[in-house]
Amino acid sequence: MDLSIVVPLYNEEGSVEPLYRAITDALDSLPLEHGAEILFVDDGSSDTTFACAERLALLDRRLRVVKFRRNFGQTSAMAAGIDLARGTYIVTMDGDLQNDPRDIGQFIAKLEDGFDVVVGWRFDRQDKLVSRKIPSRIANWLIGKVTGVPIRDNGCSLKGFRSGVIKNVPLYSEMHRFIPAMASMAGARIAEIKVRHHARQFGRSKYGLSRVYKVLFDLLMIRMVSGFAARPLAWFALLALPFFLLSTAILTWQVVALFVGSEGSLPIAGAGIFFAALCFFLLFSGVLAELINRTGDMRIMKASLLTATERRNRPRAGKQPLRDVEFSQ
Amino acid sequence: MSDTTEISVIVPVVKLLDTTGRLTRQYLDVLESTGRSFELVYVLDGEHEEFLEHLWAVAQSEPRLRVIQLAKNFGEASALTAGFESTKSPVVLTLPAYAQVEPDAIPKVLERLRDCDVAIATRAPSHSSSSRFKAARRRIFHWLVRIATGQTFSDVGCGVRALKREVVNELPLYGDQYRFIPLLATRRGFKVCEVTVREVEQGGIYDHHGVSAYLARLLDIFGIVFLTRFTKKPLRFFGAIGSTIFAIGALLLAWLAVQRLFFDVALADRPALLLTSLMVVLGMQVFALGLLGELIIFAHARDIKEYSIERIVN
Repeated sequence: MDLSIVVPLYNEEGSVEPLYRAITDALDSLPLEHGAEILFVDDGSSDTTFACAERLALLDRRLRVVKFRRNFGQTSAMAAGIDLARGTYIVTMDGDLQNDPRDIGQFIAKLEDGFDVVVGWRFDRQDKLVSRKIPSRIANWLIGKVTGVPIRDNGCSLKGFRSGVIKNVPLYSEMHRFIPAMASMAGARIAEIKVRHHARQFGRSKYGLSRVYKVLFDLLMIRMVSGFAARPLAWFALLALPFFLLSTAILTWQVVALFVGSEGSLPIAGAGIFFAALCFFLLFSGVLAELINRTGDMRIMKASLLTATERRNRPRAGKQPLRDVEFSQ
Repeated sequence: MSDTTEISVIVPVVKLLDTTGRLTRQYLDVLESTGRSFELVYVLDGEHEEFLEHLWAVAQSEPRLRVIQLAKNFGEASALTAGFESTKSPVVLTLPAYAQVEPDAIPKVLERLRDCDVAIATRAPSHSSSSRFKAARRRIFHWLVRIATGQTFSDVGCGVRALKREVVNELPLYGDQYRFIPLLATRRGFKVCEVTVREVEQGGIYDHHGVSAYLARLLDIFGIVFLTRFTKKPLRFFGAIGSTIFAIGALLLAWLAVQRLFFDVALADRPALLLTSLMVVLGMQVFALGLLGELIIFAHARDIKEYSIERIVN
């Protein structure tokens, strides 16, 4: 199968059918040799979303509908869809009709060009400025800075992937924001393309300003994992470094003071000892982290094999070098 | 066991058990009365020689009774898991090894599986004072559980639970978690129903709750909060605590430094210096634990399925 389209749905009874029509229309115009499938993942909707989708699925073998036992969140729904997808390429999109299925063709074209991850950019975003666009601007800037993958629109659900790559990216909790960052850990070639964006027609928005601290901690975690997943000891050593310098300075000062004859001070020496203890703790944490890495299955590390290419010929003219972000149009 | 067995009844025998041997008969009679095919599996958690003799005596005339003995004490969750693993029937019923509820109520619990995935018995207290005391204790515990998890149950500790096989397959149990079967099942998206039954008066011997038991329950609650809220994101838990401690410590430390540099307050004899640097150190340590937690989750992320699928069409 060439293509799997994964759509998480949560209380979208109004959108299901128009969405299905739009996707099938888009698919019909695509030159796919081995066919495509559509995966609707019903994320525990409380309305008739599942029934609507099931009715469509009974008439069309290409449509598969997955029903969750309860609401597990958008990332989980995407993860389930991706786990079950059978296509060589996987395109994910929102179920609220704000993304336009007519853009799918562009994604396929980019993937055919050899990119592993293609990210949509809603350059003409139809959302409220203050509550949606500005926070998302800031978040994207921050994510770009911290992860080193300057995607302009991490929040856009419309993304395309080479199946082998995305199936090895860990997707849990709210990690969908960091897919490009994690994929780039595996050496994925990432492209960003402009996509259409429509205002909401049915239902209402399910996002709001989520708590900032979550994103901040997630970012920290991504930074740790993406920068140093292969050698966490180095990362923890880096954390320990300032405290090492501090404690060495304090303790040297105190020892010298002893020799010079003036009396040392207990609180100051004590503080130095605390910081020295922290150094040890952090270093040993690093060792523990190495152990965790050894025992875990870091599939994302193995994904480097999937994104590796045999280079027999010179790259085609105009193609971007590995790991570069390409901005088209 | 034949493949047509409808109900597997699992009785974990841990500490409390009915020594008279009357209960086994009662269970068999009640199960018989449901008219459905069943097997009764006793799982002995370690040595229970006397009870084993009794079970063998019953098993002489009762082919549907099976006994599994664990080699040593592993606890109730292990006993239950051993029972789950050794049976295949579509419905699993767990029963306590001592009289907790009136046996006549058991069919009522089984009945509820028609429209639920899990049915648990909820003990309504009888009128004696010890029973009322236990009921009050239970209410406080469940009030804490509700605050901690947002789920409202009134008796998660009752040993009478009917579960569909798919629930059993999706619930990993260890330690003291058997207590939280209804909470964990709800979290996986299963429908859990409560059936009110009459409690049986047990007399004093079964009812010694020391301080350690209360502490254990509190730890249970703490554990379930962590498990339900932060399993996937340990840094949100450790990070929030760690960075708060760190920030307070660092600010105070900076204040001490300012005082020393500009106001000429001597630093050397201030215990506050020790306290603040300890806070900085502690904060960093808690934070580092959170990072380690994140790494564990990340390294195993693909093994832990966060979602639970009810059905796939096509």
